[in-house]
Amino acid sequence: MSGKILEVAGLNKHFRGLHAVRDLNFVLQGGDKTAIIGPNGAGKTTFFNLVTGFHRADSGRIIFNGTDITNRPSHEIARLGISRAFQISNIFPKLSVLENVRSAVQAQMGKAFDAFGRADRIGTGETERIINLCGLHSKPRVAAGELSQGDKKKLELALALAGKPKLLLLDEPTAGMSLEETRETMALVDRLNEELNLTTLFTEHDMAVVFNHARKVILLHRGEIIVEGTPDQVRMDETAQRIYLGMHHR
Amino acid sequence: MPFIQDPGLVDEAKKAGWLTRLYRRRGLSGPVAAVLLLGFLLTPLLPGKFPTIVATEILIVGLFALSFNLIYGYMGQISFGHGAFFGLGAYATALLLRYFQMSAGEVSYFGFFLAILAALPVSAFGSLIVGFFCIRLTGIYFAMLSLAFGELLFYIVFSWYSFTKGDDGIQGLMPPPFFQNSTHYYYFTLAIVVMAALLLWRITESPFGYTLRMLRDNRNRAAFLGINARRVMLMNFVTAGIFAGLAGALWGPFQRSVSPALLGWAESGKAVFMTLIGGAYFLVGPMAGSIIYTGLNAYVTRYTVFWPLTIGLIILLIVLFVPGGLLSVIDQRISRRGTERESRERIPPEAAPGPENEA
Amino acid sequence: MPDFGSLLIQLFSGLSRAMMLFLLSSGLSLIFGVMNILNFAHATLWLVAAYLTYTFFQILSNFLANEALVLVAAIVLATGIMFFLGLAIERFLVRRMYPRELPEQLLLTFALILIFSDLIKLFWGVENRRIVLPIEPLEVLGSFVNPYFFVIIAAGCGIALGLWWFLHRTRYGKIVRAAVFSRDMVSALGIRIPVIYAGVFGLGVGLAALTAGIFLPIMPLSLGIDMDLIVQCFSVVVIGGFGSILGTFIASLIVGIVYSFSILFWPDGALAIIFIILVAVLILRPWGLFGTEMRF
Repeated sequence: MSGKILEVAGLNKHFRGLHAVRDLNFVLQGGDKTAIIGPNGAGKTTFFNLVTGFHRADSGRIIFNGTDITNRPSHEIARLGISRAFQISNIFPKLSVLENVRSAVQAQMGKAFDAFGRADRIGTGETERIINLCGLHSKPRVAAGELSQGDKKKLELALALAGKPKLLLLDEPTAGMSLEETRETMALVDRLNEELNLTTLFTEHDMAVVFNHARKVILLHRGEIIVEGTPDQVRMDETAQRIYLGMHHR
Repeated sequence: MPFIQDPGLVDEAKKAGWLTRLYRRRGLSGPVAAVLLLGFLLTPLLPGKFPTIVATEILIVGLFALSFNLIYGYMGQISFGHGAFFGLGAYATALLLRYFQMSAGEVSYFGFFLAILAALPVSAFGSLIVGFFCIRLTGIYFAMLSLAFGELLFYIVFSWYSFTKGDDGIQGLMPPPFFQNSTHYYYFTLAIVVMAALLLWRITESPFGYTLRMLRDNRNRAAFLGINARRVMLMNFVTAGIFAGLAGALWGPFQRSVSPALLGWAESGKAVFMTLIGGAYFLVGPMAGSIIYTGLNAYVTRYTVFWPLTIGLIILLIVLFVPGGLLSVIDQRISRRGTERESRERIPPEAAPGPENEA
Repeated sequence: MPDFGSLLIQLFSGLSRAMMLFLLSSGLSLIFGVMNILNFAHATLWLVAAYLTYTFFQILSNFLANEALVLVAAIVLATGIMFFLGLAIERFLVRRMYPRELPEQLLLTFALILIFSDLIKLFWGVENRRIVLPIEPLEVLGSFVNPYFFVIIAAGCGIALGLWWFLHRTRYGKIVRAAVFSRDMVSALGIRIPVIYAGVFGLGVGLAALTAGIFLPIMPLSLGIDMDLIVQCFSVVVIGGFGSILGTFIASLIVGIVYSFSILFWPDGALAIIFIILVAVLILRPWGLFGTEMRF
């Protein structure tokens, strides 16, 4: 397979007294399917924000495919090959589904500044492919803001895929989904991981999803990695059990 | 799985007239632009010079509003200082015309076209400088900074008496003899505005145009998709500035004078109002708004001096009840009638109607 | 080089202007902090209040001999009316704009500027108005100073203290401050948010009206001074930082004094200097001196 695709060393982030991410160190290999779990407030979203350039790190380094991406602007990181699907659908509400995906595809093609081409003729093949892949083929002209929640999440994933990423970050991809939708979505993610060697890193609260779809699990708590390993290893770990037991008691 | 071609739509299109086909393929702006163009072409046939003169003003300020809408309707930011670029263009042309007039007595045709062209780099440069700072901000801060810069530029023009003649403005601008005829100048203006509008249409329907819309709808997400928001904003800001400067260039020879007020917030406000009245989400919305605004202004000021009160009330009502402007109302009526007609003509499917089965 | 006397006068002028800016900008900042609405028309409403106070002063002068009493009565009347006007504006206009996007909110208050400034023209015409209080000028350090300045500064401090006391020591004030942080929590506590919003808007407008009344004796009224003023208020709020009273205070001092002294050297361009400062702050530090750092 490939070597290290993401390397995080000594990452720290404070928010006005709250130490959200503490001295984080880990490595992601190319082709991995990894889940980050942990109670709310553990720092999962902050970590994603740091990797994608939305927050500035206080200290530490993030290296993607050999390139130092620490504190680089979001759009540069995206162009290097990291894509993100958000937990709360982060789409373009006034554009149609078709326009959403097509514009993302055109951005990936480097056409964002093309002021004289015809938008409806560029990248249509790739747009169609992604729309079909994500199950949105029945409603291309619907305004994205008017989609149902489930469809918005599909569009969310479609947008993330349009960037032709090498590393895909998914923020609670199955939150709010039915059993069937969860199965479909994760099957798609698995397929992408296998066929395209797309490294996936997702946060989840649904343990079934984690155990069925992750080859590696990282448990985050109060900004620190508590346990790291295969799903079984993490499940057996005493500290992990204590944290989750503590969660249930609360 | 071909979804882009809906067979039902293709059949219908063959039946419908060309106006409807234009609507289907280009949205509301298509047929509205066609109708407006026809109206503009025929205007000089009306009796007297007044309609032609008013129409010239409508076209010029309409182009200014179209340029503003690049920033507002397509990119989602509101600039209260856009008039500064309109004014810069107007002054560039005016100063050159005055120079030609003073040195040669009258303006040659070459000089005239040169003067108009000169507005473009001047307004481009101005909007580049202002834009460089403004694009670092969004929302209220963008609005305030653009206002502040606009006023600053106004003050510079107002105070630099030796160069711009300050508050006196530049008077006595005369285009070459052929263009002194109001009808000739009108068709000249119409030609330029139509070309500019076509160019704007091309730009807004390009990938860049959709990048703008992405910034409008969700700036952060656009960044996560690899778009350098600041660079896009600057490109758009300068483009809008150039088109505003072009409109300004046409204004001087038309009014035979320019004044610093062209750079102020009152002028910028006009573009905002016209866009709001006509509809910010349609390409020709601002032009439709220009017709209504200018017509209203001409009519109201004949009876009362309280024009700000009138337009203020109108803006208030529009913002409260019809924020999408006139064209959005028309668009809704049309699509509602279209949906009704389609559901009447189609045999109801076996499946129960649901959100996915809506036409 | 102007002599010390006129410098002193400019200083007083600057201080009183700073006081006015502080009071006006506090209202603006309060409305923005609680409801996230930037009231473009704040200075125009201030001007309406000033004209109203003027008219009441004229009317009441026919019934009472003591000018000070007349002024106080006029201020109370005008402030009361403007408070209710503020409530009405919030209830019927601003309230509809909360779910809307920023440009539309700005346009609504911008339309209010047009409407109210023309209404002033309609009711009061275009001539300048002023009221004159018979006060003996006081001699200070070789120059004559209007003692009313001291009244202003005292009143201004009093109002500022009153505002602080209201926000920090009364139940209602604490609710308002809580609403700035989290309107959801406040409404979850059973307090009706619409009432708070209406009250805050009314309070802001009332505060502006009070300010207008107090400054009336030293300020000739004319059309258009509201536009100058709203720009200065923006500058104050931006320079000081939204949501910071200390910031507003310091920024008011800066803008007030800079403006007053600029009038000495460049009368037409005093506002331009304020613009330059505003531009500089928006470029270098958009969240102001004391605001919270933001990403754009």
